[in-house]
Amino acid sequence: MSDTIGSRGGMGAGIGTALARARVSSFISRGMNGQLVALAIVLAICAIGTGGMSLSPKNLQTILSLAGIPLVICLGIHQVVLVGAMDLSTEGVISLCAVVAGFLIKNPLTKYDLGFWAVPLAAAIGGLAGLVNGLVNTKIRMPSFIATLGLGWVAQGLAVVASRGNSIKMLDPSFQLFTNGNLLEVPNTIIVALVLGAILFAIQRRTRLGTYMYAIGGDEALARQAGIKVDRVKIAVFAITGCVYALAAILLISRLASSNPRAGKDLMFPAMTAVAVGGVSLSGGIGGALNAVFGTLIVTVLNNGMVLMKISPYVQNAVNGIVLIVAVALTIDRKKIGIIK
Amino acid sequence: MSEAILELRGISKSFPGVAALKSVDLRVDRNEILGLVGENGAGKSTLMKVVIGFYRADEGKYLLRGEEVALGGPDDAIRAGVGMVFQEGCMVPNLSVMDNLFLANERGFARGPLIDRKRMAEAARAQLEEVGLGSLDPRTSVGGLPASRKQMIEIARLLWLSKLYGSENPVLILDEPTTVLQESETEMLFRILGELKKRASIIFISHRLEEVVSLSDRIVVLKDGVVVSDLERGKADVPSIERLMVGHELAAEHYRETMQAGPRGVVALSVRDLSLSGKFEGFSLDLREGEIVGLVGLLGSGKEDVCRCLGGSEAPSSGSISIRGRVSRFSSPKDAIAAGIGVIPIDRRNEGLATSLDVASNINLLVLSRMRRGPFLSPALERKSALKWISECMIKTPSPQTACATLSGGNQQKVVIAKWLAAEAGILVLDHPTRGIDVGAKDEIYRRIRELSAAGLSIIVMCDTLEEDIGLSDRILVMKDGRTVREIPCPRGGKPTPLDVIGYVV
Repeated sequence: MSDTIGSRGGMGAGIGTALARARVSSFISRGMNGQLVALAIVLAICAIGTGGMSLSPKNLQTILSLAGIPLVICLGIHQVVLVGAMDLSTEGVISLCAVVAGFLIKNPLTKYDLGFWAVPLAAAIGGLAGLVNGLVNTKIRMPSFIATLGLGWVAQGLAVVASRGNSIKMLDPSFQLFTNGNLLEVPNTIIVALVLGAILFAIQRRTRLGTYMYAIGGDEALARQAGIKVDRVKIAVFAITGCVYALAAILLISRLASSNPRAGKDLMFPAMTAVAVGGVSLSGGIGGALNAVFGTLIVTVLNNGMVLMKISPYVQNAVNGIVLIVAVALTIDRKKIGIIK
Repeated sequence: MSEAILELRGISKSFPGVAALKSVDLRVDRNEILGLVGENGAGKSTLMKVVIGFYRADEGKYLLRGEEVALGGPDDAIRAGVGMVFQEGCMVPNLSVMDNLFLANERGFARGPLIDRKRMAEAARAQLEEVGLGSLDPRTSVGGLPASRKQMIEIARLLWLSKLYGSENPVLILDEPTTVLQESETEMLFRILGELKKRASIIFISHRLEEVVSLSDRIVVLKDGVVVSDLERGKADVPSIERLMVGHELAAEHYRETMQAGPRGVVALSVRDLSLSGKFEGFSLDLREGEIVGLVGLLGSGKEDVCRCLGGSEAPSSGSISIRGRVSRFSSPKDAIAAGIGVIPIDRRNEGLATSLDVASNINLLVLSRMRRGPFLSPALERKSALKWISECMIKTPSPQTACATLSGGNQQKVVIAKWLAAEAGILVLDHPTRGIDVGAKDEIYRRIRELSAAGLSIIVMCDTLEEDIGLSDRILVMKDGRTVREIPCPRGGKPTPLDVIGYVV
């Protein structure tokens, strides 16, 4: 009978390694010590490399201001990663939401002037895109990797078609004032991002949806067996992530006071790196909003430092690539994965 | 008189080629611990899967608390108060104990949109208390807990669910719970089961017959898909259960014994003091040409690990393997193949065959270098080799280009054997060669094994049943808890009975 259930193994050793692994995993999920150490190291390297310039109050404020939008995007992606799926539609969906929002906020091309009411409408578009991602993933049973890659390009295409490739000037100054403003010296964008992080954190830790997300990321088959409506949870997660992308899009266009169908370009890679660097396991189930925050901070500090150190942008790209791979290597227990495709 | 909670009447279940259960009657009474024993492959697993609704029986009635039911699946069964506890528990490793306990049933702890974690922890503590885990913090992550704890949490979960769904006197199935437990943990489990018995029924499955005898109120013995005995407490002792498990005497010609050639010639494979830490220790074996040696033991006895080391997929921690006098070190299956050891794995579909490839490609897989003309593979040579082995091994396939996935189990097994013969392996490790193969094809495999041995190949075999091990082998090595406990010769005409052997196995 037991042959259907799986390995048995040497008891003593098995328990020992299992305990060790649990300690490691709770270290990653609960304590943020690893991330704190990494952040401290990156801060130290940058401080040494710039002769302390990187730690000036002015630059710290710059770092926070730079981190805002990437953090929002990272908070979006990490939710999908938590349930063990992948979202590559980020850039397309952000572009689409940017164009939609650009048309709804006072602009020279349309007669709309919805002001802040554009935010929920853009969020609806983003949520809809996420919903489609989730439906294709769960109902058509398409790997999320492919579903979101394809649908991301669909969204990108729609953005270009809708805007006819033009950028859209924003004539409502309040958006730009808000995104470039500070509250007690803290940039508004990072405050928005942190509030979002706090909401997602509460969902993850204190609601059924959150528990189910972790359960699905940990073992989808068991979660299904326990009676969780796995598909519904995944679709909801994709949709929430879509809404989060919309928020990122609005912050993005407000900052420049201009929207264009390429708004999302090159935004996914840093966010994905932040997800991994923050310690969210790419196989799902481990990590959370707090990890996204730390991951984004680490990546932002590093990139800011490299700019201050006048490192060539091409080298910066390469460094980011290496950071991504190293971070994933540290968070995935690759021994448990039999075949890597 | 005791009252039946769960009753199966005339349950039959067949899989293609195999009748797993043949009109089985099973009754579980209120407040009873029912022991269920039988050899590997006797049908215990299938029977329990019917009980928890994972399989639907082809025939027969399923009654719960006197009413006929048709369970749609394991979740249906749980709602009806029937649940199975798996050895390692069945829990999401990254969640906390309490999240697992109440997974998908948190409604009772809702406070607005949020979960009241405090109340949940209290309820979890109370529930854990019931299974003797009062000291366990319900916020601990499950992943790192030892198997004994996971089993207990699983039991607590099932009890809680049965309360939630209002099923009184739930039925808990424990599948070989003690194999992953230390002795003191086993004692504790038994104490708790004794307590639980007051408000639940338990089906206890174990290979450790002493435990079954001491714990169970009644013992049901299953053999070849039939209930052969139903013994009241006190009427059962270990030897009589062993006799029932093994059943009839060996049929002499069943395993083609008249073709048994016996060992001849030189030692082909010599293993000295091979160990793999945590799995087995001090394994030694001299395997001669033409000899068939059976490795016997329960799952987890270490025999599978010995074979993995021989096949090069696992590196032994100490000891030596020499092939025809030459000490060999295998760091990968490739080395073992080069040394002439072929492993025919138990999981044919995933490990033995590339099922999406055709028959010819599978047969030639290891000898592609011989199919070359210049730098290219020659389709003509490939075809020639394939046709040769198809007829040699009597593989029933429409053509060499047929995908292996479409062949029957028996023919797939023949393809695996042909692959190794084409690679001129001198030593074959057969891991359950007849698993999932119907009777007729089994006989062909037996005959084939005899022919290979007569041709001078050395064979190590692990079989589905003791009878098969004894019948096929020239001698058997009995392994238990990682050590070789006994070597028993099985020459033609002088075979021991399974009964002689089983005492060493369990």
